[in-house]
Amino acid sequence: MISIAALLVASPLLSKVLVWPRTEFFTELYVLGSNQTAEDYPFNLSSGESYGISLGLGNHLGYCAYYLVEVKFRNESQSAPTSFGPVEDRLPSSLPSLYNVTAFVADESVWQVPVSFGFDYGYNNSLLRVDFHSLTFNGNVSSFAEGESTTWNTTTSRFYGDLMFELWRFNSSSNGFRYDGNFVDLKLNMTVS
Amino acid sequence: MKTTLVVMVLLAVLASGGSVAVCHGLSEADARAAVANADLRVSFCYSAVADAEKAGANVSGLLVTLNAAGVLLSEAHLALINGSFDSASTSAGECVTKLDGFDSAANSLRDSASQAKLMDFWLNVVGSGVGAVAIVAGGFSVWWYLKRKQSVIEGDA
Repeated sequence: MISIAALLVASPLLSKVLVWPRTEFFTELYVLGSNQTAEDYPFNLSSGESYGISLGLGNHLGYCAYYLVEVKFRNESQSAPTSFGPVEDRLPSSLPSLYNVTAFVADESVWQVPVSFGFDYGYNNSLLRVDFHSLTFNGNVSSFAEGESTTWNTTTSRFYGDLMFELWRFNSSSNGFRYDGNFVDLKLNMTVS
Repeated sequence: MKTTLVVMVLLAVLASGGSVAVCHGLSEADARAAVANADLRVSFCYSAVADAEKAGANVSGLLVTLNAAGVLLSEAHLALINGSFDSASTSAGECVTKLDGFDSAANSLRDSASQAKLMDFWLNVVGSGVGAVAIVAGGFSVWWYLKRKQSVIEGDA
C-alpha cells in the first residue's frame, strides 16, 4: 500500500528521469509532387511554363534550426553535390545558387511550402542544344550564367536538366552556414518544339 | 574665352560622370551593407529563439515571424545577385523592420519559460521526490511504532 502511494507521488519525478534518450539527430529534406504526394513530379518541361511542387523539411536535431536551401541547376557534365559517406566529407555542388530558401524549423516540427518554378530557354537547332536564360522560382527571376546549356543525350533521348535543392544549416559557433550533406533533386527533360 | 568654356564644360561633364559613378558605387555598397545588416539581425534573432526554445518556451509564434523575415532576406540576396540594389536594400530594410522588438519578445518568452521550468522542477522533481520519501519514511515510522507497541504489549503479557 505504501509502495503504491510512494510510486504514485514519485510518478512526476520518474516521468522526467525514465525517458528514453534520443540517439539519432537528423533533418529530413523532401520534395513532393503537385498533389502533395511522392508522385506526379514535373518531368517534361516547356520553356515559359510554370510547375508546382512542395518543398519540405523535418527537424529532428533536438533544437530549433536555421536552414538555407540552395536551389541550383546543372546539366549532365556539371558538378553534383554528394550525400554519401561521413557528413564532413560530403560536398555541395560547386555551381552558384540561383535562389535561397530560408527556413526556421522548431525541434520535432515539419516545415513545408508550395514552390513554383519555370525555365526560360531557347533551342539552338544547329548545335542541337538548349540554352538557358533564366529560372523563375516563386515568382522571382534569376538569370543563368552566360553559356549555360545542355546538349541532346542520345541514350536517354532528352535534353537533361537537374534542379537541385541543397540543404545548408546555420552553425551558431562559426556564425555561418555549412552544407548539411543532404540534397534532393528533380531530373528534368527540357522539351523543345 | 572659348578654351575656358570648353574646359569648364569638360570639367562639368567629368564632375557629373564622377558623381554618377560615386552614386552608383554607394548604392551597391549601401545595398550590400543593408543585406549584411539584415543577415546579422536574422541570425541574432535566431539565437534568441534558440535560447527561448532551450529554456522550454513554445516558439512557434516567433518562428512564423522569423520565417516571414527569412523570405524577405532571400529576396534581398537574389536582388543583390541580379544587381537590383534598390530592391535589395528595400527587402533587407523590410526584413529588419519585421524583426523590430523581436529579441525582446523572445527574451521575455525565455524568461517566463525559465520561471515555469523552475516551478516545474520544484513541484514535479523536488516535491514529488520529497513526497515519495516522506511517504516511505512515514510508513516505516508507523510500522516501527506499531511493532514496538506490539512488543511492549507482548512483554506485559
